[in-house]
Amino acid sequence: MLAIKIWNYFKGYVIIRVEGLTLERLLNLAANHDIYLWDVKRINNIVLEMKSTTRGFKELKKIVKKVGCRVEIIGKTGFPFLLMKLKERKMWAAGFLLFWTIIFFLSSIIWKIDIIGNEQTPREEIISLLKSNNITTGKIKYSLDKESIKDLLLENYDYFSFVSVNIKGTKLTIEVKEQDLPPEMVDKNYPCHIVAKKKGVIVKVVPKNGKAVVEKGKVVNPGEILISGIITSELGGETLLVHAEGEVLALTRYSSIVREPIVKNEEKFTGRVFTQKGIKIGDKGIQFMKGEIPFENYREFVEEKSIINLEKYDIDFPIKIVNHEYREVELREVKQNIDYLKNANQIAATKEINKELPPKAQIQSKNIRHQIDDNILTTQVIIETIEDIGKKQIINNRED
Amino acid sequence: MKKKIENLKYNISEAFELPRDIIMDLPKLTLIGDKEASLLNHKGIIEYSRETIRINTKNGVFKITGEDLEIKTILSEEIIIVGKIKNIEIIS
Repeated sequence: MLAIKIWNYFKGYVIIRVEGLTLERLLNLAANHDIYLWDVKRINNIVLEMKSTTRGFKELKKIVKKVGCRVEIIGKTGFPFLLMKLKERKMWAAGFLLFWTIIFFLSSIIWKIDIIGNEQTPREEIISLLKSNNITTGKIKYSLDKESIKDLLLENYDYFSFVSVNIKGTKLTIEVKEQDLPPEMVDKNYPCHIVAKKKGVIVKVVPKNGKAVVEKGKVVNPGEILISGIITSELGGETLLVHAEGEVLALTRYSSIVREPIVKNEEKFTGRVFTQKGIKIGDKGIQFMKGEIPFENYREFVEEKSIINLEKYDIDFPIKIVNHEYREVELREVKQNIDYLKNANQIAATKEINKELPPKAQIQSKNIRHQIDDNILTTQVIIETIEDIGKKQIINNRED
Repeated sequence: MKKKIENLKYNISEAFELPRDIIMDLPKLTLIGDKEASLLNHKGIIEYSRETIRINTKNGVFKITGEDLEIKTILSEEIIIVGKIKNIEIIS
């Protein structure tokens, strides 16, 4: 019933009032002429009110004449009539349209550019780089190409390891991930802090510019401010922003663990080979079995060969012949010399640490621990060093 | 003669279990509580007022009385009446 009502609303219908004496006859005739009438109400002896479709009303008029009644429209409802009303109120309709256009237009403009993760690069620099490449606030967001912005940033800043560009609503968000720069590279015009880049125990703080906020013996975590670029002047109590500089030496710790089994299985090929053939269609394979594999320990080698060789046309023919080759191996348990193994482990662990060690670090101590559990020798090497853990971080994003 | 044909129709509909209202063109009245009545196969309205509605059918005149009766829809084969129905009478 609701569906019919909605349909009627879209088609538009009229509420009519009929006056006369032979109203029943009118209803019968209307029914016979397939005029759809609904909600027929008896108002009084000579008046009926009913609803009819616009087309039905036109036909009804003819019948009304025949019967000798009077008909008048008392109401019009529905979408077509609404449109007609709108036609009369052109300015109103125009305003309505204008409203939506403006909403749509304004919401497709970039109103704000956000840059996240730039610790060593000044925000203004990135903004001006974007500006010179025609990416500013006020651009239509559909005209921006995220990939090209990404490429642009990665090309201009070779120490950016990751850039992601996102447009959400009217905001352009650029997220960058920087590799640590040597301190000299950071632009001196911008105020910055010196923060810790790794965990350590402070040994010495030498601030050249800025205010040291950590003392000797303090344990710092990555990202903690070591030398602050915000200075409060003693006279006026005003805060000043400076480019902090200085050296922060801290005791840092590197450790590496290597595990190695003492008794090792060694494999040796005996030279006996057992082969089987199969066919592979697509990803599914059929293997023609020729008895069980006669070896206890073996290695399997699989070789695939296309039936028709189309490699020069760059086509991978889906039907292939598969050669399974089983080569017998002999297993031998070899017990390794513990002293020799300890030494080898130690070297491996130290090598691992050396990869992480910065070149300027001074090694303070080296600790080696060996532990034997069942069959496994665990070697842990701990190296303590003193190094500069300071990293510059621009005090940025002030204006937003 | 006419009666014979009627009887034949009745027997056929009986034998094949066909709906009688279709075969014999008889009216079919469906009531939903006392709120709505739909009459199929009518032959026209004779009287329509808020208290009484009389509808002509093949079987005679259906007289529906009640309060605030209203014709919800009227089509060539169906009439739906809503309101508070109190009495239904067949005058043949």
